[in-house]
Amino acid sequence: MSFLALVLKNLFRQRVRTTLTVLGISIGITTVVALGVVTESLKASSGEILKLGGADFMVAQEGAADLSFSIISDRDAAALAERPDVARAEGALFHIVRVGSNPFFFLIGRRAEDLAANPPPLTAGTVWAPGASDQVVLGNRAAADLDATVGDAVTIEKREFKVVGIYRSGRLLEDGGAYAPIAIVAEMAGKSGVVTVVYITVKDGYDKKAVAEAIEQDFQNLATISDVEEYGKVDQGVQFLEAANLAISVLAVGIGAIGVMNTMIMSVFERTREIGILRAVGWSGNRILRMIIGESLFLCVVAAGIGAALGVLATRAILLIETIRNLLEPQYTVDIFIRALIVAVVVALAGAAYPAFRAVRLTPMEALRYE
Amino acid sequence: MSNQAPAIEVKGLVKTFEGGRLRALDGMDIVVAPGEFVAVVGPSGCGKSTLLHLIAALDRADAGTIRVHGRDIASSGNLARYRAREVGLVFQLDNLLPTLSAGENVQVPMFEAELSAGQRRQRARELLALVDLTAKEKNRPAELSGGERQRVAIARALANEPAILLADEPTGRLDSESGRRVLDLIQQLRDQRGLTVVLVTHEADVASRADRIVRMLDGRAVPEEVPT
Repeated sequence: MSFLALVLKNLFRQRVRTTLTVLGISIGITTVVALGVVTESLKASSGEILKLGGADFMVAQEGAADLSFSIISDRDAAALAERPDVARAEGALFHIVRVGSNPFFFLIGRRAEDLAANPPPLTAGTVWAPGASDQVVLGNRAAADLDATVGDAVTIEKREFKVVGIYRSGRLLEDGGAYAPIAIVAEMAGKSGVVTVVYITVKDGYDKKAVAEAIEQDFQNLATISDVEEYGKVDQGVQFLEAANLAISVLAVGIGAIGVMNTMIMSVFERTREIGILRAVGWSGNRILRMIIGESLFLCVVAAGIGAALGVLATRAILLIETIRNLLEPQYTVDIFIRALIVAVVVALAGAAYPAFRAVRLTPMEALRYE
Repeated sequence: MSNQAPAIEVKGLVKTFEGGRLRALDGMDIVVAPGEFVAVVGPSGCGKSTLLHLIAALDRADAGTIRVHGRDIASSGNLARYRAREVGLVFQLDNLLPTLSAGENVQVPMFEAELSAGQRRQRARELLALVDLTAKEKNRPAELSGGERQRVAIARALANEPAILLADEPTGRLDSESGRRVLDLIQQLRDQRGLTVVLVTHEADVASRADRIVRMLDGRAVPEEVPT
């Protein structure tokens, strides 16, 4: 008989209690995993926006509640373009509208020359020519949703556009939207003289990080984002979600630990005499401690596995909602599952601490006398 | 008695309970030679079991010393190791773990002996064979008779090959036939393995199996006698 087998036998002697405890912790872990997936997916979507311009980094208004609310004046955009350390500064104006079944149709306003210089991967047609007005290049998901192809007309916010090209970037938001002339998008959004973001390509010989820092220094109202982890600078939504995720993790740990502690305390109380026997036959306090913590850890690791599986299923279920499917592509990163495991281990250790301490503190005779 | 150190040497042992109001041991002295089988007898409450528990290091004495093979157990930094290696303990109740099989119960003390799972299993089988319970290896305590459970408890007490076996009323809850088998086994272990045995009992016929009887009264030993 191995030590693990002994631990398992102890757990399975009260099957219902063990199952209910595992279930309780699993629900907490499910929440942690599901929220983690949503947060990571949102960050990934944000990362897609970062990659749109194919530049070194992106500039947006600092402290915007949401990136789509970011405003950079044409004057600032021009000033960025004129910097000696900047090779290219391309402004883009975002406008999110409901089109077809997609409530998050991502309409991106760009200048014709910028689009021509740095076009999305076209699968059909071309980009619009300078001076064109009501023309769009559609993402393949949007084209499929609208059942449109090159030459067709599509209606975006009661305005009719001719589809001149179709692209497929592999990025959810971009492929579910379209590129249109920036002046038209500005008119539709009621945002003239501004852009949402500016994509910066640094001149050869300059350090990208140093240039980003210099821009933040020179433009106090702007923030630079080179990596998705910096997204919170310009999008409070991701920050709120991360804060909620942390809060729920802490709650899961607290509630889970109380549940585990209750189970382990009952288990230790019921087995007080048995613990006395173990001490009497020579088991050290350390081994008793390992047995109780082992039981708790096993409970929580199983719960972590079940919770992670349920979390994945929950996010799959969420993605059955079309609105969300257009916004998020689920990201099951290793970090999410590591976090779930950490939550489970912390729950196990916190829950087992007092029962284990109590068991070890008993002298063999005290435990043997216990009825 | 030979010149080698006594297996057990108890001097002036005092143990009180209930804040000193109950004096279970009051200057108890006893010396047990290696390989000797000693029965400790006396009326209920005279301190027999308390003496055994203190020798087994299940509890701490208020005063006095207990030397085992010449070493004071109070100065041992690791009482768990002492309990695991130096003494084997058999209780009146078998005190087997109900969820484990007979074989697994015998393996329990071996976790402290740094044996592999396979070695533990093998040694448990040998010990169960010794107590004539090979066929019951997979049975749980609830599936064994009282006598069988007590024999499993004896096998468990021998798990780490201790030199001393301490038995607290091991036949107290057994019918006469089962009790006889358990006593035969203890005597056989003493004879074949040279175990030192201290057996606590209040039954005269059980005590008569010992080499020597130590009578206790009010927490002390009264003059020894050799059984006739």
